[in-house]
Amino acid sequence: MAKWEFKLPDIGEGVTEGEVVSWHVKEGDVVQEDQPMVEVMTDKATVTITAPRAGRIAELRGKPGQVIQVHSVLVVFDLDAANAPAQHAHAHANGNGSGNGAKKDEGPAATAVGDIRESLPGMTSPRPPVAAPPTQLASSLAESASYFNDKPLATPATRKTARDLGIDLKTVKPSGPQGRVTKDDVLSHVAAKPGGARTDARAPVAIAPSAHAPVAIPSVPVDARLGVDARQDERVPFVGMRRKIASKMQQSTQTAAHFTFVEECDATALMAMRARLKSAAEAQGVKLTYLPFIVKAVDKALTRHPILNSALDETTNELVYRKAHHIGIAASTDAGLMVPVVKDADRRTLLDIAREIDRLGSDAKAGKSKTQDLQGSTFTITSLGAEGGLFATPIINFPEVGILGVHRIKERPVVKDGQIVIGHVMLLSLSFDHRIVDGHVGAAFAYDIIASLENPDRLFLDMI
Amino acid sequence: MAVQTSPPAAPSTASPSHTNDPDVVRVLRDDGSLDELALRRPAFGGEGAADPALDAQQVVALYKHLVLVRALDERLVTLQRQGRIGFHIGSLGEEAAIVGSAAAARPQDWLFPCYREFGAALWRGMTLQAYANNMFGNAEDPAKGRQMPDHYTCRAAKFGSISSPIGTQITQAVGFGWAAKMKKEDLATIVYFGEGATSSSEFHNGMNFAGVFKTPTIFLCRNNGWAISVPVERQTASASFAIKGVAYGVPGVRCDGNDLFAVYKCTRDAIAHVASGKGPVLVEAMTYRLSGHSTSDDPKAYRKEGEVEHWKKRDPIARLLKHLELKGLWDASKQSALESQIDQQIKDAVAAAEKIPAPALETMFDDVYAELPWHLREQRAALTNGPRAKGH
Amino acid sequence: MPQMNMVQAINDGLRHEMKRDDRVVVLGEDVGKVGGVFRVTQGLFDEFGDDRVIDTPLSEGGIIGTAIGMALYGMVPIPEIQFADFIFPAYDQIVSELAKFRYRSGGEYPAKLVIRTPVGGGIRGGHYHSQSPESQFIHVAGLKVVCPSNPYDAKGLLLASIRDPDPVMFFEPKRIYRAAKGEVPEGDYMVPLGKAAVVREGSHVTIVVWGAMLYEAIAAADEAKAQGVECEIIDLRTLWPLDIDTIIASVKKTGRVVVVHEAPKTCGFGGEIVALINEKAFLHLEAPPVRVTGFDTPFPYTLEMEYLPLAHRILPALLETAKY
Repeated sequence: MAKWEFKLPDIGEGVTEGEVVSWHVKEGDVVQEDQPMVEVMTDKATVTITAPRAGRIAELRGKPGQVIQVHSVLVVFDLDAANAPAQHAHAHANGNGSGNGAKKDEGPAATAVGDIRESLPGMTSPRPPVAAPPTQLASSLAESASYFNDKPLATPATRKTARDLGIDLKTVKPSGPQGRVTKDDVLSHVAAKPGGARTDARAPVAIAPSAHAPVAIPSVPVDARLGVDARQDERVPFVGMRRKIASKMQQSTQTAAHFTFVEECDATALMAMRARLKSAAEAQGVKLTYLPFIVKAVDKALTRHPILNSALDETTNELVYRKAHHIGIAASTDAGLMVPVVKDADRRTLLDIAREIDRLGSDAKAGKSKTQDLQGSTFTITSLGAEGGLFATPIINFPEVGILGVHRIKERPVVKDGQIVIGHVMLLSLSFDHRIVDGHVGAAFAYDIIASLENPDRLFLDMI
Repeated sequence: MAVQTSPPAAPSTASPSHTNDPDVVRVLRDDGSLDELALRRPAFGGEGAADPALDAQQVVALYKHLVLVRALDERLVTLQRQGRIGFHIGSLGEEAAIVGSAAAARPQDWLFPCYREFGAALWRGMTLQAYANNMFGNAEDPAKGRQMPDHYTCRAAKFGSISSPIGTQITQAVGFGWAAKMKKEDLATIVYFGEGATSSSEFHNGMNFAGVFKTPTIFLCRNNGWAISVPVERQTASASFAIKGVAYGVPGVRCDGNDLFAVYKCTRDAIAHVASGKGPVLVEAMTYRLSGHSTSDDPKAYRKEGEVEHWKKRDPIARLLKHLELKGLWDASKQSALESQIDQQIKDAVAAAEKIPAPALETMFDDVYAELPWHLREQRAALTNGPRAKGH
Repeated sequence: MPQMNMVQAINDGLRHEMKRDDRVVVLGEDVGKVGGVFRVTQGLFDEFGDDRVIDTPLSEGGIIGTAIGMALYGMVPIPEIQFADFIFPAYDQIVSELAKFRYRSGGEYPAKLVIRTPVGGGIRGGHYHSQSPESQFIHVAGLKVVCPSNPYDAKGLLLASIRDPDPVMFFEPKRIYRAAKGEVPEGDYMVPLGKAAVVREGSHVTIVVWGAMLYEAIAAADEAKAQGVECEIIDLRTLWPLDIDTIIASVKKTGRVVVVHEAPKTCGFGGEIVALINEKAFLHLEAPPVRVTGFDTPFPYTLEMEYLPLAHRILPALLETAKY
């Protein structure tokens, strides 16, 4: 038998309580729906409460003369299962919570609309005490100059970075505005840790930015076979400069359709010219290497093959022919791969280019490269290290469409007039983006450069 | 007789004396007989309705319906007292005004209710079950458990959907009829409101637009004497509510709202008038709200017992019964058979309604827009995937 | 000190002010003879007469418009709108006129009313007796908006509102009209406008709340505490002008905040509060600010307890914010 509590309803005459006058039923009686149960007297009148459903009276809660609050339990029924009130929302018409408030409430009544309760579940406490004004915070953050801040200030992005790296922000020295910990602070903190990455503790140098943001490296789960074994692997956080480089490389190879063209260049004439001009350059305080000649050769070739100086704007689907010739010179440094840029190579003399390369090089070595010197290249030349290698497949400096890799001049047997002689050979490995540059276009460009280098006198013809 | 052009000295109230004013249309006499002259006198001039009278069959059917409406009203109050429904706002004492006018409507006409007119909705085809479902706010409520009781909707009955704000239905009804007129459809709208609503700007706007555009609108003002606790004298300084039409070029007439025949006749005349393109009319049905404003109101706080007693003597159902008995159309055994039948009907509808569960949680988000936008999709997911309210 | 519920406290406040200042006038539907449908103005008609406690015709636009006129004359009208759901016919007068009078007249015509109206749901009132339209008034420059959560604040804020030179929307959460009880001083006292109350101190999560939902927030905070999350609860009391300092000081302490309101989420006042927190305490945030609110639907009848941001919905927000 289901027990059901019938509460004295808000009998609509705007009263909050009633006095039990007399019962028409007693405990144990079986009643029909609408059968009169009890007379309840209110301020205004005496009302007959009828049984809302059929069932057996289990309990009467209220003796004659007793005052009952509206919404407190008046009668407890034993119902047949069939008669049990359905468990749906509108059954809450009879109220949840027993609200057995015995306190006499003399408050005025509610009318018109609305079930305004005398008490609600969870509201047993009286008016919550008004707390004192909030106490002064332990650290006054705006003026704090302390190194380890109990409540470090950081943007949500920085907090996420720190969390991803397992860094407690409190331990990071803040260098940002308002005493805040910046993302770089966090990254540097990581790099400076013993066994950390080779990156410099100073703020890492920015890679030449491209039109697009670097692609985030997706986190690839480590092969489970790389588990812990007796020979402990060393885990170095992959962050900072290295991570930026990785991201750029990934973006480039995933976007451009790389193909590589390799060709030999007879450097004999080039070497001779350089030897002749070296002291004149030194007299002007400029160290003359082969690089300025290569830069000039590339510059001229770009004028004749402007498509190699373009970039694809994928947002507008336009191929942008860059007018300026900003030649990037990629080089490896202690701080990592850097690409200082010789701006406006088309407007510079050979000497000027040499001077500029000098300057960029020494700045980079000293870690003093300016941001604008590291940005904005339209074509890049890359050296492939001291040994040079045979040939290579350089990766394009996104979003450019070609890259020239220059190998060290080597002595090689070459065929001249049907004879094998010792020649000085410089191999050039060029990679192109096949989406924009077709094979024959790339080849023509390469041969243009080679022509300028094999016969550097030709540069006179283009000299202004 | 229609418009009162010169205001009488005292304001018109629902108090006893004024229903005896000569210009108040009255057909059913105290002895149960009908005043044939009054019945035939066109309420708005012209030729009036071709058929202002009710035949015996219609009268009996209407009587039965009034008894149902009254029984239902009382039953719903009891259910509220038992805590099984949350609220009821009824029409105790106003049944003739509501049902008589609804009965006069043609099949193509539309009714725009206030919120007391469940008797009219039921007469025009809303089922008792649908009404009960609305009172319980269950899954089969036409309003899908969204609105409080007595705020149902029944388009099939050409009965507008109900809201609580006062008077908003008035301008809407005018617009509806206006559109029908534009489309040259022969359609009248009857819009119901209490006398309190005539103080609202909705009434002003509705009457003014209707007058200017000559919409086929019948403004049915139930002057029941009280707007919650505010009596008619406080509601207006005007001589009557019918006379307010003059300001808008809308002819008005007062009728005895507790006289089924008068209400029916005036509405028939009104329909003839608006259907002939002569423009809107205002019918003031003078009646009385026998109960409180709703189940939550105790009228003893603000009105005199004597007043209620007087109007109880003018109970529209009792008066109609007298007529039926006079004509030999009804007797005690028919009465008791009707009462048990109605009792059972109501019991069945209530029992069925109580068994139907609450609407499914997801339905809360339907019909806000025609299609579910992203933000409601998110909120629906958050609600259905989240915890349920305790003990509800 | 007497114990009162909120109805009694407001009634006491009105009586006090009507005695103190004979310019004070109460007007509205059913406010006089019957003392208001919630009995908040009970007894005032008998004490002060129908010159000062006026039953008006059924017209919200008329009530507010004429009240503004009275205010311009020099009275201190306290009009009542029977349910906030019915305030919209008066919205033109409130927005176009009341809010702009001082500004448009260069100070020649300050217009001061205290518009009292019950707000909020949980009383089985459906679409048209349950709404919380505060953001529609906060958004209008020139209006102040108040919402007490308990009898002490109700009377204190009412007196402060009546004496404030600007028009005040005084929202009374009807669900707790009688269930909120407490000690209320007799006689004169005020709770200043624009000052929130820190109802409970805590260091993990800040809860910003007002009106009837304060008690739901307290219940949720009790539950959260049992699970190790200490919440600081701020009862706004005045919605506008907002006590931003109290909120920011708390957010700086906890770094985590949950705003609770009955009104629908979109363009609810919670959005403004979160925007201000972002502007003023961005660097202190450990988790995104969260709003627990009514849904973007009309206020439902049968399912209202699923609609309201009650403790069972506040609690998960507290716990998730705490461990973000």
